[in-house]
Amino acid sequence: MSEDVIKGISTGEGIAIGKVFIYDKGKRKVYPTGISPKKVSANKKIFQDVCKKLSSELDELLEHLDKGSADIIESQKQIIIDPEIERKVFSVIEGELMSVEYAIYSTYCSFIERLEESGSELFKQRIIDLVDIRDRLIDLIKNDYSPKQNLKGRILIAKEVSPTELITLHEQGIEGLVVEKGGITSHASLIAQALAIPCIVNAKHALDVKAEGKAILDGREGFLMPNPSKNQIREYSQKLNKLRHKQKEAQQNLEKLSKTQSGTGFELLANIEFEEEIEYANRNKAAGVGLLRTESLLFNNYSTEEEQQQFYQNVLKGIEGEITVRLFDIGGDKLNARIPDEDNPFLGWRGIRMLLDEEKLLKSQIRALYKTEALYPGRIRILLPMISVVQEIEAVKLFIESVKNDLRNEGINIDRSIPLGIMIEVPSTALIADKLAKLVDFFSIGTNDLTQYTLAVDRGNERICSLYQQHHPAIWKLIKTTADAAHQHGIDISVCGELAGHVLGACGLIGMGIKKLSMASSNILPVKEELVSHTDDEFSKLAESFLCSTSSDEVLKAFEGWRSKRS
Amino acid sequence: MIKKKITIKNSAGLHARPSAALVKLAGSFKSDFYIHMYGYRVNGKSILGVMTLAAEEGAELELELNGEDEKEAMSAIVELANNKFGMADE
Repeated sequence: MSEDVIKGISTGEGIAIGKVFIYDKGKRKVYPTGISPKKVSANKKIFQDVCKKLSSELDELLEHLDKGSADIIESQKQIIIDPEIERKVFSVIEGELMSVEYAIYSTYCSFIERLEESGSELFKQRIIDLVDIRDRLIDLIKNDYSPKQNLKGRILIAKEVSPTELITLHEQGIEGLVVEKGGITSHASLIAQALAIPCIVNAKHALDVKAEGKAILDGREGFLMPNPSKNQIREYSQKLNKLRHKQKEAQQNLEKLSKTQSGTGFELLANIEFEEEIEYANRNKAAGVGLLRTESLLFNNYSTEEEQQQFYQNVLKGIEGEITVRLFDIGGDKLNARIPDEDNPFLGWRGIRMLLDEEKLLKSQIRALYKTEALYPGRIRILLPMISVVQEIEAVKLFIESVKNDLRNEGINIDRSIPLGIMIEVPSTALIADKLAKLVDFFSIGTNDLTQYTLAVDRGNERICSLYQQHHPAIWKLIKTTADAAHQHGIDISVCGELAGHVLGACGLIGMGIKKLSMASSNILPVKEELVSHTDDEFSKLAESFLCSTSSDEVLKAFEGWRSKRS
Repeated sequence: MIKKKITIKNSAGLHARPSAALVKLAGSFKSDFYIHMYGYRVNGKSILGVMTLAAEEGAELELELNGEDEKEAMSAIVELANNKFGMADE
């Protein structure tokens, strides 16, 4: 192996062979490009058009916000329409005969520098806003006024990449992903898994890679080889062919019934955020959607009641079975632009805490869901994120009742109640699950946040990500407590965290009597292959050994021992 | 053209949100609006201009308005400043 190999954490299996495509958004510089005097007015017009477009995007967002967050968007809007910015942009276009992209870039940069020089703490967030607005304006120009790129077969290298960007780039042909930042639960890796493309994250200095011809990305071993020899390319092409052959075989395994060796049925469902993922869920025979994330509706400004209904209907049309919709789970690492700076965002105003304050937003979502349910009776469930105390459940229930009354008064037919469940992701809820089980219709354990809150580890912090141990015995104990409570009170229980998609995790969960597991679609096959080959008794013995362990290493050893005894 | 001096009463100074409120109000009038502070002069309808003043509590600003509706504009802006730009005390 050559010396310039880039290593990372493997999060999406598979192999890609292709030219690299450097997506250097953060550092992307716009270079001075001259224009002819004839193009001056066209360039000015483009500036006014994109400002109008971005401003109306923010207006749409404003309609759904309460005062606190609305103020923040309002000051972003004021920046976009700032007369001094326009004056300066125009003078660069007209006076220096530069392209609109460069005029925007240099104007914003000069204001950013001035704010930085003022040294005032108050403007830190505004500097972030300015950078964001600058990049969004330039992106709008690039998207609307430049040809789409053909990226067929290319390997994407980026510092970080948002879910929407990744999906767009995949549509343009990207077949592999290398990200400098992030851990295994970052959104980029979740999407890469769903798209079934090889992916490595936490790949230090990947952007510095110098690759002329084809490069090799090995998602299983977790490396990118920038300048492979001819022999290596040949070797990997063979591996890739074998892999494709194996995937075909595996497809046949998916046709098997979902039953353990003892004949007990189980359900494997898909975690979904984007409509584009449904195809992969169906290909993997998901029994439904165990977790429908809805936050991206907000990111992409599709948050009116009608737009939400359209999205829910598209999902219901696209896949059979039950759809569990998690209400907007924003805060923490997501959508920070709308949320005031907090010292501890993961312990802050997020999930249900924010929704109960942002009544307009909550109302629009409940209304959209009830209206959709009327068309697809019995197929929707509502899942509440980030519940930590019982009062939140009571408050949401009252809220839903009042929304239902409104709808009835509007003449909309609402006979049923949509089943209401809570995420078990804060340890407090797991510990009193027996009490909460009397108040809700189902539990869904979110093991990612449960791990984060139980082990007090930020999953995004690269320095301590080794402490982020989803199969730690403490997590298993909380899961057991929750599962016992659900079984005792006869309510439905499922797991929608990453743990459910790991073979080890899935075996342990089945061993605790949890028969509904929701995961990234690409994990369904390996999980299914394992679950169909053991008896119930074997699974419960495994679960017992997890509960008796002292460390994650012991859990891992117990699993390896258990598995080798079998085969 | 009319001029008037005001003092910033917000304990957190004239940060982004009060600046946005000021600029939004000023933008609803036809008159030109400039702010003088410590020898600087900025366009009062530009949020970035206002923010770069970094005016803290107690800072003295001179408002300059020039145009057909300068009187109405001045009294509205002074009232906004007296109301701490609509911010609850921070």
